[in-house]
Amino acid sequence: MWWQIQNPESEGRILVWAIVLGAFILVLGLIPVLHALPPRGRRAIIVVVTFFAGLFFATEFFTPVGPDGKNFLTDYIQPAQQMIQVISALALGLGTYGLIRLHLRNVVQRRPQWGYSVVLLLSFLVMAGFSIANTLSEQQLVEKTDFLERGFALLFDFTLVQLDAAMFSLIAFYIFSAAYRAFRIRSVEAGILMFTAMIVMIGIVPLGAYLSYQVLGLSPAPTPKDADWITVLVHNLALPKIADWVLIYLNAPVQRAIEFGVGIGGLAMAIRLWLSLERGVT
Amino acid sequence: MQTRPPTFWERMLAIDRRILYLLLFVDIVAFLLLPIRLRAAISPPVQKFYDEIEKLQPGDLVMISSNWSASTIAENQPQLEAVIRHLMRKKVRFTIISIEAQARDLSHRLAMRLTPEGDYEYGRDWAHFGFVPSLAIAIKGMVNNLPDTVQRDVRGNAVGTLPLLKGITSLRQYKMVIDVTPSGTLPIWISYAPKETVILYCPTSVMAAEAYTFLDSGQIKGMITGAKGSQEYEQLLGIVGLGTPFANAISFSHVLIILFIFLGNLALFMSRRQNRQEG
Repeated sequence: MWWQIQNPESEGRILVWAIVLGAFILVLGLIPVLHALPPRGRRAIIVVVTFFAGLFFATEFFTPVGPDGKNFLTDYIQPAQQMIQVISALALGLGTYGLIRLHLRNVVQRRPQWGYSVVLLLSFLVMAGFSIANTLSEQQLVEKTDFLERGFALLFDFTLVQLDAAMFSLIAFYIFSAAYRAFRIRSVEAGILMFTAMIVMIGIVPLGAYLSYQVLGLSPAPTPKDADWITVLVHNLALPKIADWVLIYLNAPVQRAIEFGVGIGGLAMAIRLWLSLERGVT
Repeated sequence: MQTRPPTFWERMLAIDRRILYLLLFVDIVAFLLLPIRLRAAISPPVQKFYDEIEKLQPGDLVMISSNWSASTIAENQPQLEAVIRHLMRKKVRFTIISIEAQARDLSHRLAMRLTPEGDYEYGRDWAHFGFVPSLAIAIKGMVNNLPDTVQRDVRGNAVGTLPLLKGITSLRQYKMVIDVTPSGTLPIWISYAPKETVILYCPTSVMAAEAYTFLDSGQIKGMITGAKGSQEYEQLLGIVGLGTPFANAISFSHVLIILFIFLGNLALFMSRRQNRQEG
């Protein structure tokens, strides 16, 4: 693309910095202009930008491609991706700024439970510091010291990962408690659902294979061709085979029907978002 | 009015949830630690997954989309480990990409730990493209022009300069995409990846049910379902990784859940009968 800097070395560092600085000043200059606009003016900008962004991706997707797999818009996808990266980074920066401002205010004004805000700010600073340093060391921009390696491992591998995994694993306990209290056979439909769930729960795990093939002595081999119906029945009585049958022949068609419904709903929602008809978008 | 003490079945119905939590905890820990190793029945999706990787030739290039964070580490880590070990066994080269910020570090560190087993060298046999914020746009970009889209790997190298990607300009030159994920990234790969690229899927157990439609239609060629799928895969590879103990613990936690669902229903039935008898 003509506007991209392909090689900063050959095109001159001063020119590159001038472009970056110019873009920065332009964006900073735009902020007061956007603030000064009345709400209707801001809404109009959002509607127009959203519409053209959607139009670009939809047109690119639906326009037929040539033998090289490209149409007249395909080459613009990569700059669009870079724009999304920049916007995502800005959104992340904005979120970080908001989070820090809120918790700093909690600490300064000694609001209730401000101690948690101190913990959050300290954790944020230490984790961010070690993560950035670790990334820079991976790119050999700073030295990977023993302190950095141990510190990052302590924070990431032995703290963040463990806490995250522990939080998610709590769901298993809630599921167990909820299943015990809520899964009551009050109707024929509930009975069928429970029976099927039990077959699948046992059939898909190793215990199902053990019970079927070791305890009951059923054959794990596929059903022989031209076998009589008794042989077919015996070959397919194993819990893993029944569970697979339920998943493939009962679950898949139902899932497909649900996905069709969700897909149509998603399309309607996408059109509403694209045309800024959805409340709260602007 | 004098109230009678609750019966055994009524007490069962009102059992303290902390007792249930304790039972499940003991069940999981015991079957993780006990040396009971049940053999799994290989499910058709796992067998297909294995067969597809077996078809690859040494030197083929595979894209691993690793999008899991630590919350699903128990399911996605055994999958990714088993897959990387199989790829190394086949001498297949691979690159990793993440749309989840935490997944970038998790998958990079995991690959760094595993690749020495197969004498894999970074840049020559494997690479990590880091974190991309929008998967759909990234896939479109990689199909169009991979080096320009990815630009730099996690180590700051321009990806076009990596020996691994010499002559690679598009995702079309990849033989396979393997999506290891707890989120809905699969439809994005199906929609935007080149049609000739084989897609394999490693979801968490709760995500797997939705993927059977794509297996049925042939849009994905194989699937490893959660930790129990990892155990099946490890069995096919002839190794004991993380999936094997995890799947055994899951087996017996399922038994406990079923047992208590049965007890809950029995308690309800019995307490209702007692109430009817008492008028």
